Amino acid sequence: MLWKKMFRDIWSNRGSYLACLLLVVLGLMVFTSFSIASDNLSLSQQDFYREENFADGFAELTAMPYRDVEALADIEGLDQVSGRVTREVRVLRPEGDLGIYLELVSLELDDPERLNDARLLEGRELKKGESEVWIDNQFYNVHGLEIGYQLEVIAGERARELTVEGHAMSPEFTYPLRTEAEIYPNPEQYGIAFVSRDTMWNLFPDLQGRVNDLAFTLEEGAEFEEVKDHLKPELEPYGLINLYPREDQVSHLILSEEVAQLQRMSSALPLMFLSIAALILYIMLKRLVEQQRGQIGILKAFGYSKKEIMIHYLAYALTVGFTGGLLGGLIGIYLANPLTWLLLEFFHVPEMYEGFSLYYLVLGVFISLGIFLVAGYQGCKYALRLKPAEAMRPPAPVSGRKTILEKIWLFAEMLTIQGKMAVRNLARNRSRTAFLFLGMTLSCAVVVVTWSLNDLVDKLVFHRFEEVEVYHARVNLAEPLSRKKVEGELLDHAEVIQAESLAEVPVKLSHAWREENVMLLGISQGSYMYIIRDAAGNRVELPEQGIILSERLADKLDVVPGSLLELESLYLRDNEDYLTVEVSRVVPQYLGMNAYMELSALEDILNQGEFATAVMVNVDQGGDNLGQASKSNDNAAIDYNIAELRERYLESDLVAGVDGTEEKIREARKLMETFGSAIYLFVLVGVITAFAIIYSSSFIILSERSRELASMKVLGMTSGEVFSVITFEQWVISFFAVLAGIPLAQMMMEAFSRELSTDLYTVPADLSTQALLMGAAITAVSIWIAQRFALRKVRKLDLVQVLKTRE
Amino acid sequence: MALIVAHNIKKHYRMGEVTVHALRGVDFTLYDGELVVVLGHSGSGKSTLVNIVGGMDQASAGELYFQETPLHNAGEAGLTVYRRNEVGFIFQFYNLMPNLTAYENVHLSVQIAANPLDIDTLLDQVGLSDRKEHFPSQLSGGEQQRVAIARALAKNPRLLLCDEPTGSLDLPTGKQILKLLRDFCSQYNKAVVVITHNTNISYMADRVIYLKDGLVEGIKENTEPLPPEKVSW
Repeated sequence: MLWKKMFRDIWSNRGSYLACLLLVVLGLMVFTSFSIASDNLSLSQQDFYREENFADGFAELTAMPYRDVEALADIEGLDQVSGRVTREVRVLRPEGDLGIYLELVSLELDDPERLNDARLLEGRELKKGESEVWIDNQFYNVHGLEIGYQLEVIAGERARELTVEGHAMSPEFTYPLRTEAEIYPNPEQYGIAFVSRDTMWNLFPDLQGRVNDLAFTLEEGAEFEEVKDHLKPELEPYGLINLYPREDQVSHLILSEEVAQLQRMSSALPLMFLSIAALILYIMLKRLVEQQRGQIGILKAFGYSKKEIMIHYLAYALTVGFTGGLLGGLIGIYLANPLTWLLLEFFHVPEMYEGFSLYYLVLGVFISLGIFLVAGYQGCKYALRLKPAEAMRPPAPVSGRKTILEKIWLFAEMLTIQGKMAVRNLARNRSRTAFLFLGMTLSCAVVVVTWSLNDLVDKLVFHRFEEVEVYHARVNLAEPLSRKKVEGELLDHAEVIQAESLAEVPVKLSHAWREENVMLLGISQGSYMYIIRDAAGNRVELPEQGIILSERLADKLDVVPGSLLELESLYLRDNEDYLTVEVSRVVPQYLGMNAYMELSALEDILNQGEFATAVMVNVDQGGDNLGQASKSNDNAAIDYNIAELRERYLESDLVAGVDGTEEKIREARKLMETFGSAIYLFVLVGVITAFAIIYSSSFIILSERSRELASMKVLGMTSGEVFSVITFEQWVISFFAVLAGIPLAQMMMEAFSRELSTDLYTVPADLSTQALLMGAAITAVSIWIAQRFALRKVRKLDLVQVLKTRE
Repeated sequence: MALIVAHNIKKHYRMGEVTVHALRGVDFTLYDGELVVVLGHSGSGKSTLVNIVGGMDQASAGELYFQETPLHNAGEAGLTVYRRNEVGFIFQFYNLMPNLTAYENVHLSVQIAANPLDIDTLLDQVGLSDRKEHFPSQLSGGEQQRVAIARALAKNPRLLLCDEPTGSLDLPTGKQILKLLRDFCSQYNKAVVVITHNTNISYMADRVIYLKDGLVEGIKENTEPLPPEKVSW
C-alpha cells in the first residue's frame, strides 16, 4: 500500500519530480556518453600504439648518416632506433589551391617491426624506390583522392609526381598540426604522406644516404631523461634540433589530453547535475515529510516501524534516482557513438566502438542511487525522529511579530496587506525562503556560466587574431635565417609594406622540480604586429631583459614576476647546460602556452647571432597592383597580395609556407560553427536547469500554502490578488538571488576554467556583462513562466476540499 | 488480569515557547471487554493520556503496564511492536491516507498485522461494501470515520483507543459510530477507550474516568450503560 501511496504522491506533484528527473537524466546521459567515448578513444589509442609500435622518444637533426643509426641502439636504455627522412612539400592541385602541404615521412619497408608504422586502410604495399605514397586518411577523403591518383608536389625545388597507392593512419599523427601555432588539424591544407626511404632520397638528393629524424623505444625500466643524457652528446655533432619524449609529442599530448578531459568532464558535469537534482529532491522530500507529519504519525500509531517509514520516503528519492539513472544511462549509451564519431573527425585513430556498456549503465545507476539515498535520508530523517503523538500534532505556529522592515514607517505604508503577508512570510519561514533563494541563485549562476561559453569562442580565437597577432600574413621559414636579410628581401616586394621578424625557439623552462617544454617567442621591442596584452587588454612592452610567461605556464611552473627560471635549449651555442632568466611579467594567453622575450635579448643569450624563424608581414590593402580586384574591397586586396607572395616562394626550400591571418579567421569561424551548436546545447541545458529548479521550488511552496491561499479566495480576493502574495515574495528573493548568483557564477567559471584548460588552450574565467544580463533575464523569465503554471493551479483550487482538510 | 495498569503517570511537553504540564499523576486500570469513557474538558489531558496508553508518547514519569509488560521504559522499538500488535486508534479527524482508497486504507493496517481480520467483512460490517474503491475526498465525514474504524479493527487489536470519534460528526452519524464501537467491544471482548468532552456519551460506557487539569478526579462505574442508539446530544 505504501508503494501505491508513493506513486500517487509523485503523480500529484509530477511537475516537480519531472524537473528533478530531467536533471538526473541529463547528468547520467553526460556521464555515460562521455565515459564510453573516452574509453573508445583511449582503447583505440592504446591498441593503435601497440600494434603500430609507437616510439617512446624522438629526435630532430640536421642530418646524420643512415649507417650510424644502428650503433645508437647500443646506448644504455635504448631498445630500438629507427632513422627516418622527413620533409614538408607543397602540393599542387589542379584547382590551383595554394597553401596545401604534405609532410613526407619515410617508412622502413624492410623492417616488419618498424617503429611508428602506418596502418594501411586501403591500397597495396609500397615498393622501394618507386614514386608512390600512402596518404593520411583525412587528407585523402577531404580531397577526394583515389588509388592511382597522380599527386604533384614540389620537392627539392622541382615539381614531382607521386602515385597514391593507399591511404593510412599512424599513431604519430593522430592529431596532425602543421605548426605549434595551430590548434586543430586542417586536412584541407595539411596532411601526412608515407613513402619508402629510397623514394625520399630520390626526391631529396641533398639527404642521400642520411636521415634527419629518429624515433626510438626504451628498454623496460629505462627513463627517458637518463637515456637523453647519453643520447644527446651522440647526436649533437649531427646538428641536433630537438630531442623529446613521447609525452611531449604533439599528437600524443593532445590525444591523451582529450581522453583525460573527457574523463574529467564525464565526472564533473554529471556531478553538477546530480547535485542540483539531489538538492531539489532533498528540499522536496523535507517539505513532503513536514506536510505529511500527520500521516507519518498515523503510520507510527498503527505500528509501522521507523525503518519501514524511512524506506517508504527513501523510495521517493530512489525512484527518481533509479529512473533517471536508467533513462540517462540508456540515452548516453545511444549518444556515445555519435560523440565518438565527432571525436574521430579530429583524431585520426582507428574506429573503436564499445557498443552497449553494461558497466557504465550499472555504475551510473548506482552513483545516482547513492547520491539520492543520501539526499533522501537527509530530507526525511528529522520528522522520523518525532514520536507518534508529536508527529500528529501540528507544528507549533511561527511566532507572530512584525518584521524589522515593517518598523520603518515609510516601508510599512507602501505595503498592501498582501505585501505585508509576503514580507512576514519571508522572515518567518526562513528555511523556505533559503530554499527558494538558493534555487534561484543556482539557476542564475548556471545560465551565466553556460552563456559565457559563447564568449569563449571569441576569446579563444578572435582575441588572438584581432588583438594580439595583428598582421596580414606570416612567412614561415624552413630553417632559421638572418632576419635582416629576410626582412630586406620581403620589403623589396611591391605587395609587402611592412615586415617584422619572429624567432621561435624550443626551450625547457624549470623552476624547482617543475619543468615545461614550450616555444619561446622572440619579438621586437615595440612590435606593431605581435602585441602582448594584459588582462585588461592593454599593451605590455617586452622588457630589455627577462622573460614574460603566459598565465598557464606560470601556474604550472609555480612562478610569479621576480622568480628565477632555468632555461635550457638546444639552440644555446655556448655549450652551457642552462641559463638563468627572471620572470618579468605574467600575461593571459588563451591559445597555446608560450614564453616571450625581446628578440635582441633572446639572440644575446643564445649567442647565435640575429635570426628569424618567421616573418610577420602586412601587405598593400588596395594599391595599384590589384589588377582585376576592386580597390574598395580591402579583404580581396589582402588575399590577392598574400597569394602573390605565396606564389613567389612556391618552389623555395627556404620558405615553408605563407599563412594568411584572414584565412585562419575564416577557418576558425567555420570550425566554431560546429562548436557553436554544441555551445547552444550547453546554454539550453543551463536554461532547462534554471527552469527546473524554479518550477519545482514554486510548486513545493504552492502546495504548502494551498490552505492559506484558499482562505483568501473565500474572502473574495481574485486569483491574481491571492497569487500576488507569492509572486511578491518570489520577486524579492529573485532580486537578491541574482546578485548572489554573480559570485557563485564566478566560482563555477573558475572551476570550469581549471578543469577544461589544457596546454593547447586556456578557458578564460571572466564573465562578460552580456552573460550576467542573460543570467538575470533568463532567471526572471523562468520565474514568470513558472508563476503562470502556478497561477493556473491557484485558479483551480478546490476551496471546499482544501478548507475541509485539517491542517 | 488487568489489560492496562497506569500508576502516577505524569507528562509535560514544550509547545513552541510554552511548557505544558498535561498530566500530573494519573492512576487507573483497564480490562478486556469493557468500554471506558475518559471524560474531561478541553485541556484536561485526555488526549495526552490516551497517547501514552497507546504507546504514541512516553510519560515523563510514572509506570505503565500492558498486562505485565512495562511500557514506561520501553524503547521505541518496543513501543512500535506494542502499537503494531495490541493497539488500534481512531481519531477525531479520521486521518485517512488521502491518496489511498477506502479498501487500501484498511489494507495498510492489515499488511503489518500478525492476525488480521478480513477487510471485506469489516467494510461490510461498517456498511461501506459499495464504497471501498472510493478515495477519502469522495466520502462523507461519517463514511470516512467508518473507514477509520475498519482500519483500526482490521489489526485485531486488544485495545481500541478513540480520540473524540464523533467530534466532527452529526448526531445520527455519531450514534452509528458509537454503536460500531460498542459492538466491537462486546463481540470481540476487546477493551475500548473513548475520550470525549461530551458528557452524554459517557452514559454508554461501562466505566467513566473523569479527568481534570491532568489529574483523575474520579472513576464511576455505570451499572446499566445506555445503548448507543439512546445516547443523545
